[in-house]
Amino acid sequence: MTRGYRSPDPAAVSTGVEASEAAGRFVGQSVKRVEDRRLVAGYGQYVDDVRLPGMLHAAFLRSDLARARVRRLDTTAAAGLDGVVAVLTAEDLNHYVDSLRSSVNPPDLAIVPGHVLAPGDVRFVGDPVALVVAEDRYLAEDALELIDIDYEPLAPVVDYEQAAGSPHLVHPELGTNLGASGSGPDPGLARVFESAHLVVTETFHQQRQCNMPMETRGLVAHWQRHAGRLDLWASTQSPHELAFTAARVLQIGEHQVRVHMGDVGGAFGQKVYSGRDEMAVLLAARDLGRAVKWIEDRRENLMASNSARVDRLTVTMAVDADGRILGAEIDHLSDSGAYPLGGAPAKSAQLVSMFPGPYRIPRLGWSTATVFTNTVGRGAYRGPWQMETVGREMMIDLAAQRLGMDPLDFRRRNVIERAELPHTTATGRVYEQISPAETLEQAAEMIGYHSFRAEQAEARARGRLLGLGLSLFIEPTSMGRGALGAEGAVVRVEPDGTVTVSMGTGAHGQSLETTIAQVVADELGVEMERVILRQGDGTPYGFGTGGSRSAVIAGGAARAAASEVRARIGRIAAHLLEAAPEDVIVDRGSAFVAGTPARQVSVAEVADAAYRRPESLPEGVPEGLEHTARYRAPEVTHSNAAHACICEIDSGTGVVRILKYVVSEDCGNMVNPMIVEGQIAGGVVQGVGGALYEWAPYDADGNPRATTLLDYVMPTAAEVPILEHGHVVTPSDTPGGHKGVGEGGAIGAPACVVNAVNDALGPLGIRLSRQPLTPDTIISAIAEAESR
Amino acid sequence: MLAEYGDEAKPLAGGQSLVPMLAMRLARFDHLIDLNNLGELTGVEHTGDGLRIGAMTRQATIGADPLVASHAPLLAMATTHIGHFQIRNRGTVGGSLAHADPAAEYPAVAAALGAKLEVASVRGTRLMEAADFFEGAFATSLDGDELVVAARFPTWDDPSGFAFEEVARREGDFALVGAAVGVGMDTAGIIRRASIAMLGVGGAPVRCTEAETALLGCMAVGGDLDEADIGRLALAGSEPTDDIHASSSYRRRVGAVIVARAVAAAARRAVESSREGCDV
Repeated sequence: MTRGYRSPDPAAVSTGVEASEAAGRFVGQSVKRVEDRRLVAGYGQYVDDVRLPGMLHAAFLRSDLARARVRRLDTTAAAGLDGVVAVLTAEDLNHYVDSLRSSVNPPDLAIVPGHVLAPGDVRFVGDPVALVVAEDRYLAEDALELIDIDYEPLAPVVDYEQAAGSPHLVHPELGTNLGASGSGPDPGLARVFESAHLVVTETFHQQRQCNMPMETRGLVAHWQRHAGRLDLWASTQSPHELAFTAARVLQIGEHQVRVHMGDVGGAFGQKVYSGRDEMAVLLAARDLGRAVKWIEDRRENLMASNSARVDRLTVTMAVDADGRILGAEIDHLSDSGAYPLGGAPAKSAQLVSMFPGPYRIPRLGWSTATVFTNTVGRGAYRGPWQMETVGREMMIDLAAQRLGMDPLDFRRRNVIERAELPHTTATGRVYEQISPAETLEQAAEMIGYHSFRAEQAEARARGRLLGLGLSLFIEPTSMGRGALGAEGAVVRVEPDGTVTVSMGTGAHGQSLETTIAQVVADELGVEMERVILRQGDGTPYGFGTGGSRSAVIAGGAARAAASEVRARIGRIAAHLLEAAPEDVIVDRGSAFVAGTPARQVSVAEVADAAYRRPESLPEGVPEGLEHTARYRAPEVTHSNAAHACICEIDSGTGVVRILKYVVSEDCGNMVNPMIVEGQIAGGVVQGVGGALYEWAPYDADGNPRATTLLDYVMPTAAEVPILEHGHVVTPSDTPGGHKGVGEGGAIGAPACVVNAVNDALGPLGIRLSRQPLTPDTIISAIAEAESR
Repeated sequence: MLAEYGDEAKPLAGGQSLVPMLAMRLARFDHLIDLNNLGELTGVEHTGDGLRIGAMTRQATIGADPLVASHAPLLAMATTHIGHFQIRNRGTVGGSLAHADPAAEYPAVAAALGAKLEVASVRGTRLMEAADFFEGAFATSLDGDELVVAARFPTWDDPSGFAFEEVARREGDFALVGAAVGVGMDTAGIIRRASIAMLGVGGAPVRCTEAETALLGCMAVGGDLDEADIGRLALAGSEPTDDIHASSSYRRRVGAVIVARAVAAAARRAVESSREGCDV
């Protein structure tokens, strides 16, 4: 269900005129997804669908100990099994790779040792020790069982809160378990804390979660030595990043690498970078000269891909008697695991920078650290810094409770109003086109905030536990820096008038085939079904799809290239029609003279002239009909949202049911509202999963306890709440006025759900700060409260 | 074939547990004996004192069968809690009973209703009481050459009522803890027969005999029946399992709640069934 472009204060929000100006025949419309015709019918093409002649299959032997020295590794029996082509170990592969750096990490930041396979010692359960390549996957797995390996177990570092002080080192090469640390104290804060009406401190914990794409990681690599060509089929968010890694690891040119993009069954950050497993497969393919397929199974995905969200955030907040926030201090500790994906430590800087969120928080002091542990490496996961929202929004509810203030009123008192923009946060961020106050009001109205409070009081009187949670945040999208800063697009009108857009994106569920076609069709004045998006091999360099960047940056590049092509269509058409270029309108695939629609020529005829009748072109117009453009985004484009939900807790079983969930979001002009809502809904479900269900814990010996989908509990359709969407539209100052929206749902949802649960448990004197809130967690809290 | 291959062979019923175990290389057999084309192992028939259900009858069939709904309603109630419909379309009653998952629904129903299992081998056929059949988690007293060919669920005399309650992390998950309850009354509304079987608290389905005894002689509704007390009694002294999804103390405390709810629902239904009886 959708609330339209409306706001409680229409004057304050750019709707109406600007929105309709931005809307086109396709842009701004909920056009059905182009991708669905094949996906729904079962004709998607994923990596595992790729079958090449003579293709081999790879499987990894993975450590079943968290930390151990390898005493003996004998692959003779495995290598001798009929059908096994190679058994590779660290000795065979590791010397090719010096680091695990990606294109966003300068070499000096690549602090994780670059071991492709375990180098004589294993550092987490799942650590790849050997790679078997065989004629089929069954044989490869049979061979794994024949590898003779003997370990000398060592004491593992499992608990990240104890890792920094542990005498045991995850990476002996580094001499420390501390991955990175930093601080930015605010000397003025001490005085604020001393004189404040109220100072509240609380520590919040988020648990280990997994990205859990439906399609696990996978790669088919085929090196043709004599052609000097590497063909790759990958499940990736970033085909050019994969080419970068492949070229670096194999010491060949990027021009020799062809990455074929098929459909990608989800990634959520997991498939941005190529890790050790991919490197091993690439090296094996090069050595063997035959196509090698590696498809990760679900158990590997859960224990050896990456994990996320292992965060501890301590927040101290000072408020005055009226509920104004005077300042805050935060201390963040995160778990990087053993080999964090992409070589980058946790997103501490981003977390600190975003902590003030949509509120006036005049002072912020901070300290951060990330540590290595003998667990699977941390990776990017939808809103990798979202612990700032988790901690801030839970702290706000706590501070409001201590003040005896309603949490909505507390937020109203501190939220940044439109009249205050531009607003510079204590961390130096400048907000310009945001609307947190408007989204808060819209969400409060949609959830029925005030009538709920009456209903809640009545329910409590009858012993029912009903609660409402709120969560606000600013989402930093479309970063305009480094490898992520720009994207390229080639827009080419083919000789028959159809349009090919080539981009370096790596759509993995974002519907770019639809939205880019919408943007380009409107810009060119052609029908949408005449436009196709091509990704992967042969496209201009780009970082791919992630970081909530495609609408702004990829859309910006597509728009810029299409705009130039449209101008050229106009000039050619004007020449053919013997009219002035400024009088020519291109619409619905035809160019015609304004006021005289009968004087028209189709875009196909213009294209035919451009390619096949160069002599018919006007002077100064180049032959052909294509243009390449790159678009560099502003430093950052902020979007914002308010989440609200109502839950009921069964006090007998501890089961939480979410009765209603609303999101009011402002991502500027929407290319496709249906797709925006799909992005938000998917993120909310992941956030609900993080709050209530998903958890991949380790035992004290470092054994992962959730290695199947029976134990890693994802919310399913039955657990997904009824979700309503509201939109506030404040265009950004990028072309098209769009903002990113991909990560927001997952940023806002956990705190919203936990706040609702705490609100429901309020009468019992319970306040939880450690996720996930499983039935067991809630029942043990109730039991503890009863015994107090 | 079982007699010939012994432990090297495994009968394949619906494959909803066995196949994942094979795929994860947790179990391996030289031979799988596919039962799926044995038509004589399927079907629900009325035998006078109850129902005889062929071992290969799919859970979905049982859930939709009118004979089951009228003669063994507890079985129908439990069926909706088994996995998802895709699982129920494949999963069978015999497979579920023989697999003996401690958190599975049908073993608890069999224990609660006092079902008998028809077990066949080349040596002949015997009838086993559910109580004797389940030995522990994934363990039964089947001999290596024996196959469950049918399960017999007795019909309780009216007025009686049943309830199946469980709590799971998600719709379709194995129960953290659950209870199958049957209550039979006399015409005065006094409970004369009671059966409580729990799943998820022990290796095998657990009959809560003390709680059952405490129910006898109580008025089903509106009298001296204290369901919460029955629940506590049912779990008294039990030491349920501890796993990633729930602690032992959770299962003990919430198990009592689940039993209480199931007893209340079963008693209410027993009274309703007696009223329906009067109407006729």
